[in-house]
Amino acid sequence: MSDARIEGYARALFEVARADGTLDEVEDELFRFARSYESSDALRDAITDEHVPVEKRQAIVEDLLDGKATPTTVQLVSMVVGSGRGRDLPAIVDSLVQRASSAKQLDVAEVRTAVALTDDQQARLKAALENATGKQLNLKSVVDPSVVGGVVATVGDTVIDDSVRTRIDQLKSRL
Amino acid sequence: MNRLSLIAGQMLQVEWDVDESGVVSNDPLLPPIKEIFIGGAASLIVFAALYKFAGPAIRKAMSDRTARIQADLDSAAAATTDAEQSASDIRAALGDIDGERQRLFAEAEQQAEAILTDGRARLDAEVAELQSRAEADVASAATRGGDELRSEIGRHAAVSIDAVVTDTLDDAAQQELIESFIQRVGATPTGATS
Repeated sequence: MSDARIEGYARALFEVARADGTLDEVEDELFRFARSYESSDALRDAITDEHVPVEKRQAIVEDLLDGKATPTTVQLVSMVVGSGRGRDLPAIVDSLVQRASSAKQLDVAEVRTAVALTDDQQARLKAALENATGKQLNLKSVVDPSVVGGVVATVGDTVIDDSVRTRIDQLKSRL
Repeated sequence: MNRLSLIAGQMLQVEWDVDESGVVSNDPLLPPIKEIFIGGAASLIVFAALYKFAGPAIRKAMSDRTARIQADLDSAAAATTDAEQSASDIRAALGDIDGERQRLFAEAEQQAEAILTDGRARLDAEVAELQSRAEADVASAATRGGDELRSEIGRHAAVSIDAVVTDTLDDAAQQELIESFIQRVGATPTGATS
């Protein structure tokens, strides 16, 4: 999909969520769903398999998110999948997050951990990253088992990688 | 015998008959004086004629003979000189042959020595090369063995690392890692990573 079309979808989702007054929640839920989409082959196959009817794919998405996300988020994801753009969902969501953060004069900080962060940890981590980068941040926390342990923080082009996965990879490389 | 005496008597009788001057000489060796003079003059005439008419031819014949003999002598001397020259050439040629033989022998020995030296050098080089190659093969095999061993150890270690680390990372360890990250990033000077 072209960048213009991705931007178009992102702008549409952004406007819908903002009009609904649930931008922050929807943005956060979409971000988490997009990361789950990237890390789960089964979810990716279920959403993008063209042999499965679109209605069936939408039903799968709605079943997955039912009770775990706001109705607006469920509808937006279903809409993207229904339009046959499920494959571009991460790019659309990233663009949406970027747009939402820009609207709030914030930069996006993506934090990946093997276990979920508490609210307190997220707040302290956000403050620490803002101190380190000198930017106001919109923190997005993602649980990613492939990290194994530790934290991987990405702010724009800057990556602070203190994950156990990276250390293991370095150790394997030395071995 | 009687017959011979008769013939000699008849001959003497004739001699006695030819002498018509009336002087009879019975000396069988000395003729009469007149006859001696006439005979001497006739002899002189004959000799003078011979000297005048046959002398030049005889002298020319003698001179020619002398010249022929001289030519033969000269020819013999020239032949002798040629023979000596030929002998000298043959001796010189023999000397050259000896020299050539010596030179060929020396050259052959030199070539044989050179071939021998070259063969030894080539043999030494081949032995050295084989030795070097064998040492390199041994070193390569040792290195390859070491590499394979290290690779095998690394592979087993890599397989073990994931399991060991994952098993040891309990919730407390996870929280400790996260807190450690927050403290370290928080301690970073402001804007240091921007």
